[in-house]
Amino acid sequence: MRVLVADDSRVMRQIVLRTLRQAGFGDWDIVQAGDGSEALALTLSENPDLVLSDWNMPGLNGIDVLRSLRAAGSAVPFGFVTSEGSPQMRELAASEGALFLIAKPFDADTFESALRPHFR
Amino acid sequence: MTDTTTTTLAQSVVPMAQELFTAMIDGEPGLLLPAEALDEPFPDPLYAWVDIVVGPAVSRTLVVTARETADRLARSLLAMEDDEPVSLEDVQDALGEVANVVGGNLKAMLPEGATLTLPVVAQVAPSALRPVDHEQALIWWGGPILIQLWTSTNGEGL
Repeated sequence: MRVLVADDSRVMRQIVLRTLRQAGFGDWDIVQAGDGSEALALTLSENPDLVLSDWNMPGLNGIDVLRSLRAAGSAVPFGFVTSEGSPQMRELAASEGALFLIAKPFDADTFESALRPHFR
Repeated sequence: MTDTTTTTLAQSVVPMAQELFTAMIDGEPGLLLPAEALDEPFPDPLYAWVDIVVGPAVSRTLVVTARETADRLARSLLAMEDDEPVSLEDVQDALGEVANVVGGNLKAMLPEGATLTLPVVAQVAPSALRPVDHEQALIWWGGPILIQLWTSTNGEGL
């Protein structure tokens, strides 16, 4: 299982990695992307099993990454990890095909609840 | 943005910040506490802010603390040892994320259509032409942290 973690904050990427381990997903291989454009390119080239992406990033934001992936024919499972968890954003994420939206602040239980139904 | 909205946002700052620190920084509640207004300036301060834009109105969430406290924040977020050296880049990144999470959660309380800017972190305060609308002092491991809210109905003066 390989997951691409996209966030323009290196600190936040490290927190996501640590939280994945704490939630019981420590054996997953991780690929990191520092912005939306890199996330799009790496997803298409590395073909991960899951993308965990921030929403608000410079250049391509998270929803643009998801739309671009779908437009390119990629059906990669996609979830958001973002500080913005309003009902409208959750609705938009779901309508564009995201599996879930994890709102910051989060802990290992949040990740477990969001990921376990889709990945074992 | 109405006075009522500003009041609602102001009342949410402490529980929101405490939730952030409990979940992602301390791993336990009770270490970030409200404090009385600060009467001394921060030594070697760092400023991090995000803006919430709603039409012509802008609401700024500004987080201020001393470099020493920001270093501790970064070490905690990165699960580093207490005496481990931490780069200014990581410290700024960490404090920016604190502003980003608080601001992002405040944005969720505003009407649909609001947008959140990327965090900005600097060693000098952003220029401001108007008085702060709300200010909340907090104490974390003995180090003060200040969260300020600034609102401009026409985007000018922030």
